[in-house]
Amino acid sequence: MQVEERSVGSYTVVTVVDARIDAQGADDFRAEITRVAQGGNRRILLDLSEVTFIDSTGLGAIIASLKQLGPDGDLVICGARNSVGSLFRLTRMDKVFRIFATSDEALAALAAG
Amino acid sequence: MLSDDVRFHLTYSIGKEPADASPADLCRALSLAVRQRLTDVRLATERRYSERDAKRVYYLSMEFLIGRSLDNNLLNLGLRDEAEKLLSARGSSLDSVLPQERDAALGNGGLGRLAACFLDSLATLGMPGYGYGIHYEFGLFKQEIVNGEQRERPDHWFAHDSPWIVEHLDEACLVPVYGHVEHQLDRAGNYNPMWLGWKVLIGVPHDLPVVGWEGKTVNVLRLYSARASDEFDMQIFNDGDYFKAVEQKAASETISKVLYPSDSLAAGRELRLVQEYFLVACAVRDIVRRYTKAHASFDDFPSKVAIQLNDTHPALTVAELMRLLVDEESLDWDRAWEITRAALGYTNHTLLPEALEKWSVPLFEKVLPRHLQIIYEINRRFLEEVSIRFPGDVARLRDMSIVEEGETKQIRMAYLSIVGSHSVNGVAALHSELVKSTLVPRFHEMWPERFHNKTNGVTPRRWLLGANPGLAALVTEAIGPGWVSDLDRLRGLDALAGDAAFQEKFAAVKRENKVRLAALIRSLTRAKVDPDSLFDVQIKRIHEYKRQLLLVLHVIHDYFRLVQDGDVSGPPRTYVFAGKAAPGYAVARRIIRLINSVGEVIRKDPRVKGRIEVVFLPDYRVSLAEAIVPAADLSEQISTAGKEASGTGNMKLSMNGALTIGTLDGANVEIREEVGPENFFLFGLTAPEVERMRRERSWDPWGVYQTDAGVRRVMDSLAGDVFCPWHPGHFLPIFRRILGEGDEYFHLADFGSYEEAHRRVGETFLDRPAWRAMAIRNVARTGKFSSDRTIREYAEEVWGVAPVL
Repeated sequence: MQVEERSVGSYTVVTVVDARIDAQGADDFRAEITRVAQGGNRRILLDLSEVTFIDSTGLGAIIASLKQLGPDGDLVICGARNSVGSLFRLTRMDKVFRIFATSDEALAALAAG
Repeated sequence: MLSDDVRFHLTYSIGKEPADASPADLCRALSLAVRQRLTDVRLATERRYSERDAKRVYYLSMEFLIGRSLDNNLLNLGLRDEAEKLLSARGSSLDSVLPQERDAALGNGGLGRLAACFLDSLATLGMPGYGYGIHYEFGLFKQEIVNGEQRERPDHWFAHDSPWIVEHLDEACLVPVYGHVEHQLDRAGNYNPMWLGWKVLIGVPHDLPVVGWEGKTVNVLRLYSARASDEFDMQIFNDGDYFKAVEQKAASETISKVLYPSDSLAAGRELRLVQEYFLVACAVRDIVRRYTKAHASFDDFPSKVAIQLNDTHPALTVAELMRLLVDEESLDWDRAWEITRAALGYTNHTLLPEALEKWSVPLFEKVLPRHLQIIYEINRRFLEEVSIRFPGDVARLRDMSIVEEGETKQIRMAYLSIVGSHSVNGVAALHSELVKSTLVPRFHEMWPERFHNKTNGVTPRRWLLGANPGLAALVTEAIGPGWVSDLDRLRGLDALAGDAAFQEKFAAVKRENKVRLAALIRSLTRAKVDPDSLFDVQIKRIHEYKRQLLLVLHVIHDYFRLVQDGDVSGPPRTYVFAGKAAPGYAVARRIIRLINSVGEVIRKDPRVKGRIEVVFLPDYRVSLAEAIVPAADLSEQISTAGKEASGTGNMKLSMNGALTIGTLDGANVEIREEVGPENFFLFGLTAPEVERMRRERSWDPWGVYQTDAGVRRVMDSLAGDVFCPWHPGHFLPIFRRILGEGDEYFHLADFGSYEEAHRRVGETFLDRPAWRAMAIRNVARTGKFSSDRTIREYAEEVWGVAPVL
């Protein structure tokens, strides 16, 4: 699982570079989030703009990551394509996560509090 | 020019020199040429609907018994003569080319054929109507008769090679199934169940064009096939586990592999539930996709969308539409429920308790955990409504609950359909009354306004114009061509019923049809039948309630009267049976064996001298029905009263000039009303009489056996080896079924009056002018049974859709 990270304000923007988060990559994905969180920042903006497919294991890994960040942490989603966004709605994960169309939009909203 | 397009397709689609084309090549090339024309009209039709933002009706059905399409499409497009000419110029003919097309047998019987007739009528009436079904790789099994017994062979129709069907991969959808619900809180701290851990199927649509009469409207039947997700497979392939990848792909694609025969669901219940969900999930996504292209909110959904559930098989639509609106579109529950109920209508097709679908809760939870949760919530709110209306009535709550209590809880799909729809209908007047009075009386008490009747119908294009060109030409010559799209005009024939010249022409057409059927019988069974004998026909699924056994008892009785009593009154008869038995339905299979054995014994008995012939035509299907129906003299509609919902074979036969011998069951009641009691051979107990005898346990078949020597002679022949010298006692189970096990279907209770009716049939048949007049009146008075009438009623009273011309 390849990710890129950068800090913007109080959030670390984690961009998943792989096209898919599925049963094969779910553990790697969680490990990457753990690594970022252990780096000190538990507030993550997850950029999924490069991701074309997530299966239910991948979605489960995103939920688990949120739990792992704990009450002080945050996991915000941005950049989900239609195919990925529809899965967030299907599972009702859109009601758990804040979801923004782009990272710029997300960062602006997060900065505004 | 059609001929140019046929030449083009012979060369470029099939890759042959036109001069070398076989009948099969010509069939395909002609079909492709016709499809071009259908495509033009389909695109124009869709444009028309979109420009007007028309309300659309979606007919969801697990079965569409389409049959062959080429002849029907040529007729409706007005291209039949041109096609005949171009084939003739190539030294061929429609008679040799049309049979090359294989039946699309994506259905069991009446319910599936009804769906196909409805699509024809929707297109004929110019209404925006779409069918949604499954693109089964294997249709209903092919039936062979070996040593008198049914053998099943898979029917791998032309699923991937049909000239009519176009795959639309770009509109494929993703269908999750299985998994579990995680109980989480949303951002505001409210309960937020999340459906996770699912597997995913891909639903790929395949469109089959449906053209209406005169070719102005082409609607679409959209059939979905299940594919494995390529995404998953590719990953496993990349990991090198080739076998696992193939297994997973095969398992996913099993979903649309095979149509389940009726009466045999137990063997594969989980797969069937997944199939039903697969249809519903694909259809609902597609319906919502089409709606949201033109609408920003769901406020107008019920005024733009009507969804009809063809029996309970697509009942999951209630839960799926709720899930989609609440979970994916974030509508609040009450608003979503209002929309769902306003959009859905439910048609009940059966009163047989064993045919009412139920799914065990553990299975449901495994396959559709989120939907189960939604159904529980629907039920909780519904029972609250019932308890407010009928306070303190605990028994009523238990009776009406969508969840049936018991050792294993069950979801009652008929109840889910009723609760989730604004309209509930039966398919014949008597059936609709029985739905209200005996099937779900408490629901009727709760919502009387929701219940109504829509008597089934059949399309006259396929079943008269196409199947019986001789009669169609005669009718057109007598009253003009308007009847094809306005069947009530057949009434114009009434005045000709007694006209000797018209009768002669009518009889000549019938005889020609009988000669043709006799040749087919010869080719299928080797039996030689006399076209001048009375063709007595029973063609339908083999089931005890339809009582093929009663006709067999009559045949045996007839045989003994002839060879033992020397009674030669009445005309020579040819009894024609056809129908499939569900592979797991042992009694039905044995009935087929009995029919064939009786036929064989009679055929070999020199005393019979051709006065009785019994044939069982194998592999009953739409195209075989199209050959039998126009040739029938007598239509056997002899189900136990109160058991048959409607029947549509009864309508087709009457419309083609066969007289009915029948009970007051299903649509027989209305056929008799329409054609007049004097043109119908009635017999048997009525539904209330059967019900009373059942309730009072007053039915005693042994009493009839002991007091009626004729009955005893027939029954004893089943107990002995008259019809099974090769295996004495082989038909003893049937003997016991009728006498020893209470006989739920009251065969012997009706036997006496059935015999009496058959005696009248025989006498009347010998009076040729009288018989012909009755047959003509049957044709003249069957206008009501056009599916155009049925669809108009649904459109006006249930769907709120109008022609868009």
